[in-house]
Amino acid sequence: MTIIDKIRTVDTSGVPFAMKDRLHVPRERYFDRGFFELEKERLWSRTWQMACRLEEIPEPNDFTEYEILDQSILVVRQQDGSIKAFFNACRHRATQLERGAGRLAGGKFVCPFHGWQWNADGTNRLVYGKTGFAPECLRPDDLKLRECRAETWGGIVWINMDPNAGPLRDALHPIAGKLDEVGIEHMRVKWWKEVILNANWKMAQEAFLEGYHVMQTHPQLTMGMGESYPADTGADYLVYENGHACFQRKDMGAGGFATVDQMLGFYNLLAQGMDAQILDRDIHVLETLRNNLKPGEDVMAASARVIREYNEATGIPMPAGAELKPLYWGGDAFVFPNVFFLPYYSNVLAYRIRPYNNDPEMCRFDVWSLTTYPESHPPVRAKLLGRFDKEDADRWGLIPRQDFSNIERQQRGLHTKGYEGHRLSTEWEGGIANMHFELDRLLSRE
Amino acid sequence: MPLVAVEPGGFTIQVNKGEALAEAAWRQGYTWPTTCWGRAECMACAVVVIDGVDATIPPEPEETDAMNQRLSRYLRQPQSRLACRLKFSRDGAVVEKKGAHPPQDPTD
Repeated sequence: MTIIDKIRTVDTSGVPFAMKDRLHVPRERYFDRGFFELEKERLWSRTWQMACRLEEIPEPNDFTEYEILDQSILVVRQQDGSIKAFFNACRHRATQLERGAGRLAGGKFVCPFHGWQWNADGTNRLVYGKTGFAPECLRPDDLKLRECRAETWGGIVWINMDPNAGPLRDALHPIAGKLDEVGIEHMRVKWWKEVILNANWKMAQEAFLEGYHVMQTHPQLTMGMGESYPADTGADYLVYENGHACFQRKDMGAGGFATVDQMLGFYNLLAQGMDAQILDRDIHVLETLRNNLKPGEDVMAASARVIREYNEATGIPMPAGAELKPLYWGGDAFVFPNVFFLPYYSNVLAYRIRPYNNDPEMCRFDVWSLTTYPESHPPVRAKLLGRFDKEDADRWGLIPRQDFSNIERQQRGLHTKGYEGHRLSTEWEGGIANMHFELDRLLSRE
Repeated sequence: MPLVAVEPGGFTIQVNKGEALAEAAWRQGYTWPTTCWGRAECMACAVVVIDGVDATIPPEPEETDAMNQRLSRYLRQPQSRLACRLKFSRDGAVVEKKGAHPPQDPTD
């Protein structure tokens, strides 16, 4: 029995526009307002989701705001280094206490309206003009900021608005374990940007659940192969419980590069086209292979060797055996509901896609280039470089611009008369069906 | 770590490089007047630098704009600064701030 078949033992017939099989996705799931509201109530309000990276709030009293639909949550580093998350509203008359990212100087939240104050742990410190309130309005438990569940994994703070939710690691099983093997917890932000797309959040992320689009969307990456480029991109497609999925190199020996030149040619395209996954640092290290390849040594194996040698010499942490994991080689791991990690060597390209502006046909798309720094590297607070237009060629490499363009055209195409829904490949698009089946399972919860 | 003298209280306070005076005070348990806690909003933390101006780091536009808009012209002096933004490059500054005092002060 496949994972999808197991999921199908849950009765999802009450979900509007439900998935009926793994071959089709009804189009309404990407624009229907009722479906979107159901997602808001039963998915986003009750599911573990990425709120921020840990290095956004490295020091005590650092905070950042996580926005999802009509909810705003403040994630705050505590004095002991732990993390708390609070719903962002003054207990007096609902004013949002903070916006964006910053630091609580003196460790206090202060309402900008009437000056009520809270400590960083959410306990009330001051009600200005206290004598003017009835005692029943000032019960200490009622005055505490409302807390939201927060746990950490993979260098990330995850929140869940459901106080009865199970542990984070259960929800992330088994994909978190696979990412642990390639050293995800060592990764830090190199850069972070965002874009707003006119597309449903699921539509936007489905482009990253398959590599089947590479031949036509990113022709430069096929190195001139055209339609002889393998539709499976040499990858195994795997789907898991809890909605997770990944694709990764099928064969660790073959399917690599015949020569160092060929490898560097491809890697330069990635470094220039994305400034992620393969970085200039890697190119410099791998250039040494031009005179350093051992007789008969496989090019990919040699690249792993010199990267590990470089990491060990410079104090860059790397798990034992990381290079033996297929995901290490340009794999793509999807963490339900909306985060992606694309590891390559000691780097990761990461995405998060969430609804924007309470509009089923808009999404807010974060892109991170993560890398592993030497352990001696001082921690630097990660900051969003900005929100950039999808066509801004100074800010986005060719690869993401190619992806963004097709995503918006898909969303427009959905509304075309005569279009009923997607038809999916059983071989390369199973991750998309798997995500929708998990979504239906959650939407049918009481 | 720059040392700053505070009058009329007659005490000194250690301020980390890159840290604002009021934050250093709060971090070490001193009382330092404020109602906005470091947001350059309330003007309650404002000081006058009465000596050692060259040990201070000049204000950013945010601080100057905030004082222009919200610090009463009757209270403002040429060397007025917001303690929640005031940083130091070295020892030697002396600031005047009524109502600021060290921890365990019986008037706290």
